[in-house]
Amino acid sequence: MHGRFGQGEVILALLFAALGLLWIATAFGMPFWQGFAPQSGFVPFWYGVILVGLSAAMVINLVRQKEAAAEPPIGKPLVVLATLAGGIIGLQVAGFGPSIFLMLLFLFAVVEKLPAIRSTVVAAATTGILLLIFKAWLRIPLPTGPLGI
Amino acid sequence: MDPFINLLQGFATAATPANLLMCLLGVVLGQIIGVLPGIGPSAAIALLLPLTFGSSPTGAIIMFAGLYYGAQYGGTLTSVLINVPGESTSVMTAIDGHQMAQQGRAGVALGIAAIGSFIAGTLGTLGLMLLAPILALAALAFGPPEYFALVALGLTALAAVGGSVLKGLATGVAGLIIGSIGIDPQVGVPRFTFDQMWLFDGVDFIILAVALFGLGEVLATTGLPAAKPILNIGRVLPNREEWRQARLSILRGTGVGFLIGILPAAGATIASFVGYIIEKKVAKDPSRFGKGAIEGVAGPEAANNAASAGAMVPMFSLGVPGSNTTAVMLGALIMFGLRPGPEMFTTNSSLVWAVIASMYIGNLILLLMNLPLASLFARMLQIPYSWIYPPILAICLTGAVANANSIEDAWVMLGFGVLGWLMKRYDWPAAPMVLGLVLGPLFENTLRQSLTLSHGSGMIFLSRPISAALLLAALLAVAVPAITALILRQRQLSVPGP
Repeated sequence: MHGRFGQGEVILALLFAALGLLWIATAFGMPFWQGFAPQSGFVPFWYGVILVGLSAAMVINLVRQKEAAAEPPIGKPLVVLATLAGGIIGLQVAGFGPSIFLMLLFLFAVVEKLPAIRSTVVAAATTGILLLIFKAWLRIPLPTGPLGI
Repeated sequence: MDPFINLLQGFATAATPANLLMCLLGVVLGQIIGVLPGIGPSAAIALLLPLTFGSSPTGAIIMFAGLYYGAQYGGTLTSVLINVPGESTSVMTAIDGHQMAQQGRAGVALGIAAIGSFIAGTLGTLGLMLLAPILALAALAFGPPEYFALVALGLTALAAVGGSVLKGLATGVAGLIIGSIGIDPQVGVPRFTFDQMWLFDGVDFIILAVALFGLGEVLATTGLPAAKPILNIGRVLPNREEWRQARLSILRGTGVGFLIGILPAAGATIASFVGYIIEKKVAKDPSRFGKGAIEGVAGPEAANNAASAGAMVPMFSLGVPGSNTTAVMLGALIMFGLRPGPEMFTTNSSLVWAVIASMYIGNLILLLMNLPLASLFARMLQIPYSWIYPPILAICLTGAVANANSIEDAWVMLGFGVLGWLMKRYDWPAAPMVLGLVLGPLFENTLRQSLTLSHGSGMIFLSRPISAALLLAALLAVAVPAITALILRQRQLSVPGP
């Protein structure tokens, strides 16, 4: 959709400005300067000021633009994000193996509508390879669930 | 010591079976990553970092370097066969490379790109070998003000090479802000942790790199339509006439690419642009460009490969990356407990020389692999992206959790992944943010040390010639593109509309 200006990008610039403001406000509560030496709050304070300045300039630039470029749809990325969030929750509930397998299967078979059997095989193989590399080879303790993987 | 003696020692280390395997793995992975959409060498290195836990830093950096220049070769395939550059460094190759493919000369385009890349990569590595130790020696005299100015130059230069200086600077400063989370490096007290214990160690570089380059890239790429590749490769080796046309382009591309690669943050993308422009300027008949001129492939391909070697000069000798990927490699070196910079050539000389030696080996492997196997790699372009991105997401998630065995890190990755997606969507560069995080502690420490030395006077940065020169370069890095953009906008406004 063509907007008068890129509203999504303005929100992004405002997010950066908010980060800068948070840093300025938090740095005020820290020691700033002692004797000849700058203290903990000095550099982050200036980071915040610069970021707010740059973000404000971005917002002004964007608002002055007459027309924004067309933006790609956000539906599918949001579904993928939600699936990933489900995968993270699944790590705590079901353990690494089942949650990664289900996440992959959902993405292949439901989101991408790929053939069910091939999706199951690829999801299982990917999960198996990851378990083999991280758990068996590198011996990294990944979250485990009721199935022990 | 003589660089050639050091190089021989480097070959002795690089030629061990384990390191040869890492080199082979790196170049093959790089080639594949260059071909596959939605994942670049920066993301791939970030994703592979967890796999190198506990392994030798030398082997890991050899693999990462191989992946970096291997991706330059791989990116060419997509440029030539589907007119979609696998990497930003191959944008210029697509112009004439795809035209050649449409004329049934895809193999020759890929062949000359592989030969040019091999020559440029080898000569670039020679330049790296000769120049980096000299630069490192000069930089040994640097004090805190010079280091501060150097980091400022690295950050501003990387911020300035994208489409918008303002966006680059904003993401760079945001990276510095993220880097200030955790324990204050000078006085040891926690700050910006918001009473969260898991923030005491700060935001991990791997998490940010995986989120921005891996997850953000995947989210931005899902749903984009796939292109149809040209699979008729044909003859790969150029004939005598084609070689005559391309040989000087390769040498010019090598020279200009290496020089541009050395400049902090200028990188292979700009090198390939300049390489193409030079070829068009020196051509007797510039009208052939855009219609399948072999020089339009040879020049930029040589330039981007030479620039990959050149970009390692400031990374190894000064600790300032010359490109997005070397920014991630710099973080990897720090993760391995090494301090990139002038001391690398004295304290970790065996690693540096082994990596340099491995680059000669890797370039040879890539040449031998690319000429006969071009059609095999081309078939990878037929794999739909819907089969590729879910495993990438699984690797991102596994890497984030495995990094510190922490679920919180997975949520942090998700959050930064959303940010990375928005940044990619609106063309805000991610590399300055990662660099800000990596170099943030050095930037702040050297700034505070310098101000303490000068009793609080900022004049210390201007009274020392090297730091003053570096800060002037940093200022120019920002001012020149900004003023150029302003002038162009004024000109556009002054041209009456139709």
